[in-house]
Amino acid sequence: MHPFDIREALLAKHAQHVVLIHFPIALFLTAVAFDYFGQWTKNRTLAAAAYFNLLLAAVSIVPVVASGLAAWQWELEGQKLKGVLFMHLLLGCLSSVLIWLVFWIHLRVRRHPKDSLPKYRLPIEGVAVLLVVLTGHLGGFLSGVNGPG
Amino acid sequence: MRRSVSTAGLAAALVLGMGALGAGPKSFEASAQQKPATMEVKIDNFSFGPVELMVPVGTTVTWTNRDDIPHTVVSTDKAFKSKVLDTDEKFSYTFSKAGTFPYFCSIHPKMTGKVIAQ
Repeated sequence: MHPFDIREALLAKHAQHVVLIHFPIALFLTAVAFDYFGQWTKNRTLAAAAYFNLLLAAVSIVPVVASGLAAWQWELEGQKLKGVLFMHLLLGCLSSVLIWLVFWIHLRVRRHPKDSLPKYRLPIEGVAVLLVVLTGHLGGFLSGVNGPG
Repeated sequence: MRRSVSTAGLAAALVLGMGALGAGPKSFEASAQQKPATMEVKIDNFSFGPVELMVPVGTTVTWTNRDDIPHTVVSTDKAFKSKVLDTDEKFSYTFSKAGTFPYFCSIHPKMTGKVIAQ
């Protein structure tokens, strides 16, 4: 591998996707936990913590999506996916959209401090958590974390 | 009489010997031709088996994914590259040139193997 070949460096065993994905997962799950507790305790500090975690989750999901799509296009030459790989791609895209949607809901309210966070966000966050967990499960299955080595 | 018998015996031995000499290489060629020109590599439990395979030039190697998850077979020097192989799917490549062909799974790059074509 040439050290200055960007494509090779970024795709070196395309580990970036596998590493980077942990950040949005952790940030989003923490954000949802803060948001639920904030809603339950009516604590605005927890709501603010949820917002900043969501902001970081929404930002950190970008390189994850990019590295995943790059691996698909470059390593697998964009071939038609099926089975577990397709499910991982589909659920990953849906998870990303829901994370951005939840962040947008929080962002909109934050820009208008007199408004309160809508309660319909809570089931959306619940569904998003479920999708994130399913996507992560399939990703772990694909990456072979349970395999030898 | 005794001389003619021994001469006949010698001639018979010579004929048999020549026959044996002639048959030798032919039978070797035949057995070589009967050898299948295909070899199989199994993909299972995140590994290629056998990891290293030596084959004569012209041999077709078939990789079969016996694992539960998808894998690929990609040679390091881009000589061959499979599509994503789901469970029980196969990929074949004929090694028409001599050389060493290291390969890996592009989904799980820790999975590596090597084909040596001679």
